[in-house]
Formats: sequence, structure tokens, C-alpha cells
Amino acid sequence: MSAREVPFRGGGFAPRQLRGAGLATAAVVLVAWESLSRAGLVSPFALPAPSRVFSALFEMARSGELAAHLQASVGRLAGGWAIGLATGVTAGLAIGISSLARSVGLPLVAALFPIPKIALLPLLILWLGIGEAPKLATIALGTFFPVALATASGVDQIPKSLVRMAQSFDLSRWAILRTVILPGALPGILAGARISSSIALVLLTAAEMIGAEYGVGALVLQAGHLMRVDRLLAGVVLLSLLGVAIGAALGALERRLLAWR
Amino acid sequence: MVLSWLARGLLAIAALGAPAAEAAEKIKIAALTLVSSAPLFIAQDRGYYREEGLEAELVFFRAAQPVAVAVAGGEADFGVTAFTAGFFNLAGQGALKVIGAQSREEPGFDFSAYLASNAAYAKGLTAPDKLPGHSLAITQHGSSFHIMAGLLARKLGVATKAIRMVPLETLPNMQAALKTGQVDAAILPGHIAVELDRAQEAKLIGWVHQWTPYALGGLFTSTRNVQERRPVVEAFVRAYQKGARDYHAVMNKRDAAGRRIFEADAEPIIAIIAKYTQSTPEAIKAGAPYIDPEGRLDVGNVFEQVALLKEEKLVDPSVDPARFIDTSFIAGHFNLPR
Repeated sequence: MSAREVPFRGGGFAPRQLRGAGLATAAVVLVAWESLSRAGLVSPFALPAPSRVFSALFEMARSGELAAHLQASVGRLAGGWAIGLATGVTAGLAIGISSLARSVGLPLVAALFPIPKIALLPLLILWLGIGEAPKLATIALGTFFPVALATASGVDQIPKSLVRMAQSFDLSRWAILRTVILPGALPGILAGARISSSIALVLLTAAEMIGAEYGVGALVLQAGHLMRVDRLLAGVVLLSLLGVAIGAALGALERRLLAWR
Repeated sequence: MVLSWLARGLLAIAALGAPAAEAAEKIKIAALTLVSSAPLFIAQDRGYYREEGLEAELVFFRAAQPVAVAVAGGEADFGVTAFTAGFFNLAGQGALKVIGAQSREEPGFDFSAYLASNAAYAKGLTAPDKLPGHSLAITQHGSSFHIMAGLLARKLGVATKAIRMVPLETLPNMQAALKTGQVDAAILPGHIAVELDRAQEAKLIGWVHQWTPYALGGLFTSTRNVQERRPVVEAFVRAYQKGARDYHAVMNKRDAAGRRIFEADAEPIIAIIAKYTQSTPEAIKAGAPYIDPEGRLDVGNVFEQVALLKEEKLVDPSVDPARFIDTSFIAGHFNLPR
């Protein structure tokens, strides 16, 4: 009986993040786009060259317009998202631990989640006017539901044995909530935060349909109406950068909060 | 089965026997399902394009902007839409030529109305000349509503900024803001305005045609068509004018008291419009604009619109109406700048 040496095969696919690959892709796309535009193969009013988009961005930055747009939008995003997150986590925890809240909450969430929030804009104007309130409400409404659902399913995934153990040690309900439920549901809550952050960005544009003088969403809308495609794309770049920044911040938060895993 | 084969055979023989017609020029017309595009529909339905040797295909769009983009980009040959800052910016880049008129605000023909919120009306906003100093709901900066407000401001001798415009994107949003007094005023299509006034949800304080008659929109083609297919453009314009005359004959009528009337002879035209716009005869009558029988454009007014939008920095300073309006296809345009 001869022993044959078997090489280790169980490496899996294990995709790694290749350093610089993302930046390189972006660079290749930009160079290709720029050269297509310069060669006159794409008409400038359908798709202006990236250099024109960046010069529009630069122009807005110099005039102070960019700061005004960003300030307005970041404020709305932060406010609306904070409201949606706080109420969503609360509702999700309640659905996760209480039968009454679950029986009442889940059907409500199921019924209200799919409503396109843009369809509610005229109603929001009737109820909340045309100031900041309807803009915050649009974002809060859109983010509440995914956060509530993600939080509730986060609670559901906590091993029952952990809760039972805490109960057998005679911990108070509040202590169990604080030391077992909340940390256990945290991965779910953070997943909800991630999903809802992109929803918040999508809804920003809808929210800024209502009487907004400044804001990245308002900028994109108006540039579209005015056929200023360079400014429109500059706004899209801003939205995308905002999304990347929020994603990076959430990633860092996740690594800190979930270090115990 | 056999019969249908027989019929096809007979048709084929008949086709062989027919005189070989000249190959029809194919054209694509970009249109909106609005009454203001009526001449396009009438010309198609009554075969006016065919009479001119054109094989026309109507392509429908949901919004005005894509119509202009389609013509500028060469995906369509002709289009009819309202004038906006976006349209002027696109036309200013040289790919479009305005060759005629869409509809216009004509004295005596109710189309767009000024409305005051009940609260603002109670505080004295009882006529359009009191609008300066008040807020006005519009869809977007640079929209038709913005142009109407700007023309009014000019007529009153104040800066456009004196009327504080609040962009709300959609007509339902504008109505909601007006009903609740979030804005002092709005300009809305006549049939909506009359409804709001009747329900006492807002006050109708005047009609745009009473203050600033103006060119609502244009008929346009690509610069390339003007340069390379001039006979086709001319043929299209003749067909469009026939459609416009048919519309004018029955849809632009008023009674002795000056009120808009639709008599029995309007029925066939309304039926054609209903077919293409998918709306009811009542809605068509309520939203029917004045359309010039020859497609003549108030050219001077377009210059004024561009000028006021430039002042507001909504139209690029390089845009020159003289370069995107081609008056050579239709005789008798109004207010030609010297």
C-alpha cells in the first residue's frame, strides 16, 4: 500500500479585493468615454465628455453652488434617515420580542412597504406643506420599513438558547434586551442601515421635487429639465460619491461594532 | 382557407397591375398624446402625408424633452412640443430648426389660468397684476409656467424675480400646495383651474391670454433635414398645414358672446384626436388650445422668451433664436424681428 501525497484542494474560490482594481476600472472607463467623445462618436448633448462634467463640477465648486447643494442634501439625508432609523429599529425590536407588536406590525409593514413613496408627494404637501418637513418625511418613510424588517429578522436570528439562559439566570427583561437582544440583532440592524442608506439617496431626488431651491436632487432634476447634461451628470457623480462615502462610513462602523464576532 | 388564398392571389395580381408608385419617403414624427399635437394626428388620419408622397410613422413619447432629443439626435424627423428653457438650450446647440408653430395663447381662447389660493385672495391677490411679491407654484424653473410668469412680469415692468417661483415638479403637487395655501398662486391648465374654482378650493383670477398672448410651442425638424431633405420638409409642412386648417375650421370657433363653442362639425376632428390621445371628447374640448391654421409662429415672442430666460440664467448666453428658427417654410410668421 503506497501513500500518495494529495495536495490541499479545499481552498474554495475565496475572492480577494485586488488592490487598485476598482480605481483602474474607473480610469479605463473614463479614458474610453473621453476619447469616444473627443472623436465625435457620441453627440455632446446626449453624453458630454467626462472632462466637461468635471469642469461643470469645478465651476459649481468655485461659485459656492456646490457647497449649498451638498449642505442642503446632507442635512436632509441625515435628518430623514435618522428618523427612519430610530423609528425603524424601535418598531423592529418590538416586532421581534412582542406577540402583540408582531401581530399588528408585520401586516402593517407588509401593506405599507411596497407603496411608492413618490405617489404620496401630493399628500405629504397637503399634510406637511412645502418646507423641510415633507422632504424629511419622504426619506424617513422610505427608510423606516427596510430597517424595521431587517431589525425584526435580526432579533429572530438570535439563538433561543441564549435568551433562555439569560432568563434562567433571572436577568430582568431590560437587561436581556440590552445585553442579548440588542447586540444579537446588531448585524441585522446594520444590514438594514446599509440597504436603507441607498434607498435614502434614491428618495432624496424625489424629496427635492417639492419646492427645493438647493440640494443635489434638485440640481439633477433642474439640469435635466434645462437640458444641461453636463450639470446633470455632475449631480449624478455627487450622488454616487455621497453613496460611496456613506457606505465607507457604515463599513467602518460595522467593523467596530461587530468586532466581537 | 381557400378563399383567403384566392383573395391574396387576387391582391397580388392587382398590385402588379397598379402603376408603380414612386417610393414613398419615410418619415418619423415624434409626438405627445396631447391635443396640441392635433394637426399631426389629423394629417395622418386623413392621409395628408400620403398625398404628399410621405410614409409617416408616429412615435409617441411621454414627456416633451425626449421629443426634442429624438429629433436632435436623428431618431425622429419632426416634432411638436412646448417651448422651455431646456428646449432652447438644446436648439441653441444647432441640431434643431423651429419651422412653425404648435399652439398659442390667443386672446379670447381660454387655455392657461392664473389662480390665487383662497387665503391670498382674501388678502387682496385678486388679479394677475398683483402677483409680484407673491409666491407662484410652477413645475420647474424654465418650464412653460416659468415663461408665462416671466412674460407677465415683463408686461408689468418688474423683474421676473419679483414673482417668487416655487418648483413642485408635477401638476398634482402644484394643486396640493395651492389648495392648502402653501403658495399664494399657481398657473394651471384651464380645465383644472375651472374645477378648482368651482369647488372653491382656489380662486381663478385671470387667463394668460388676457395678459400675455404668447407662442406656446413649436414645430421643428433637424438641421440635417433642412439642409439635406428640403423637399421632404416642405411636403411635411404642407400636410401639417392641411391638418392645422382642418382643426382651425371647427375647433377654434367662438359664439357671438365670445365663448368657445364646439358644433357638430367638430365631432369628426374630436374623434380623430380621441383616437390618438386616448382621451374623452369632454377632456379634448376642455383642453383644446388655439392652433394657427397655417402653423405661423410669433417669432418676436420667441425672441422675448429666450431673452427673459437668459436673464434668469436658465438659457445659455450663446443661444441665438435667429439661428434656430427657420422662417422659410411657412409664409406669414408674426412679429419677425428686423
